[in-house]
Amino acid sequence: MSEEAIVIIGAGHAGVQAAVRLAELEWAGRIIVVEEQDGPTYERPPLSKEFLKPGASDEIAALRKESYFEDKRIERITGATVTGIDAGARSVTLSDGTSLGYFRLIIATGSQARALTVPGSELPGIHLLKTRDDAQALRRAMRPGAHVVIIGAGYIGLEVAAAAAKLGCTTTVLEFQDRVMSRVTSAPVSRHFEQLHQEQGTRFVFGAAVTEVRGNGKVQEVVTADGSAYAADVVVAGIGVLPRQALAEAAGIDVKDGILVDADSRTSDPNVYAIGDVTRLIIKDQGINRRLESIQSALAQAVSAANSIMGLTNTKHEVPWFWTVQHGVRLQTAGLRLPEDDIIVRGNPKDGRFSVLYLRDGRLAAIDTIAALSDFTVGKKLVASGAEIDPEIAADPANKLTTAVRELVDETR
Amino acid sequence: MSKTLINVIDREGATREVEWEPEQSLMETLRDNDFPVLASCGGTVSCATCHVFLEKPVLESLADRSEDELELLEDAEHYNPEASRLSCQVQQCDSLGGINVIIAPEED
Repeated sequence: MSEEAIVIIGAGHAGVQAAVRLAELEWAGRIIVVEEQDGPTYERPPLSKEFLKPGASDEIAALRKESYFEDKRIERITGATVTGIDAGARSVTLSDGTSLGYFRLIIATGSQARALTVPGSELPGIHLLKTRDDAQALRRAMRPGAHVVIIGAGYIGLEVAAAAAKLGCTTTVLEFQDRVMSRVTSAPVSRHFEQLHQEQGTRFVFGAAVTEVRGNGKVQEVVTADGSAYAADVVVAGIGVLPRQALAEAAGIDVKDGILVDADSRTSDPNVYAIGDVTRLIIKDQGINRRLESIQSALAQAVSAANSIMGLTNTKHEVPWFWTVQHGVRLQTAGLRLPEDDIIVRGNPKDGRFSVLYLRDGRLAAIDTIAALSDFTVGKKLVASGAEIDPEIAADPANKLTTAVRELVDETR
Repeated sequence: MSKTLINVIDREGATREVEWEPEQSLMETLRDNDFPVLASCGGTVSCATCHVFLEKPVLESLADRSEDELELLEDAEHYNPEASRLSCQVQQCDSLGGINVIIAPEED
């Protein structure tokens, strides 16, 4: 029996997609998805967006309805944690003491929000945002008039800031760098979003190193290195995520800030695959060594793992893409920018819609589109094809982006 | 209450009748019935992987497409102004029983 079972640890986007793909490919054995959280599967992106809006529904869309899993004979075990992997015996142990044998194991344990470590970090009133429970707790805490201090101006921090401002909270964002979203985007985009938030009453403090959280029984203020103290009823730490790789590590599988996987999502153990946020993709001959936090990438990895298990060849190389929505303004990014890329601003940020192109050796490596979805679709294709771009033509939004292409370098990529 | 049944034509041209459950978007129905709509963005109008064609009178009976949806559709390879919708943006309603839905060809 166990020779036929594929066990998937984690029912997030990646884990569910792997199960769906295996069912689609008509895997003849069992498909078992183990999830530590109770309840139905759910979409993660809305947790920091629609779910926090005033008057939002309590419902969070499921990744698949429950009957779907039954129809596909995908077995779900919820509310149970995998406590260990025995790679030699090809089995996992669950928190209730039982064990499950597997033919192939797929680790889709995702990532966890990085917690604060400064003194006072254990005080009630400090929130992280990763799960449905986290989002519900945060929503209850963000009452009109509350002082909300957000640590970290990344996607999560800014999406929460937008929601807090909308809910009538006094909102302050503390960021160590000198601009918002500095890890993922360029200065023109950062400035645009800073202004957007400021117009809605959010205050930014840059160069802010949090040294302590103070409070008597619950948070009252956040203190920074320069001695400033910011009054807080609610603190939200949006300071990144850590891959949940401990199970793999304990089983002797290679990890290095993520479970190391190849293009087929194979780990160093031939019977074990890993997909989604928990992974670090290594493709040596292409110089790829990266950990992504991207749904689209998680879904693609899930498909590649299932394909590989079924003996199919993976040929598709997808361009990673990301999105965030803040105060109704959508930023969509395709490709991965580097700080040293050449920047072309296409359009005028003052008009509320523009794109930023990132050129590397003259070729389009990534694109940010701000309320300009038409450039996104085209840009993503041009990133995929490694198109060489004429900067002057591309800078003028009156020209279609495709007219800025000098040559298609490698159409097969 | 009668079920809302629709006819879905897949990329190979085969037609299958499926039930469109209340509260579901068309994308969710297609996905739950194993049609190859990737819906990478989970129905948030961020990609065009749930692109479908509807018949003109059906399209006209629905609320207008949002600006975001139009922008994504206009740059989709197989955009047809008189037929294209992102299926994640079409909600179930009883009057849509019996319609034909064509899954748009896959993008490169």
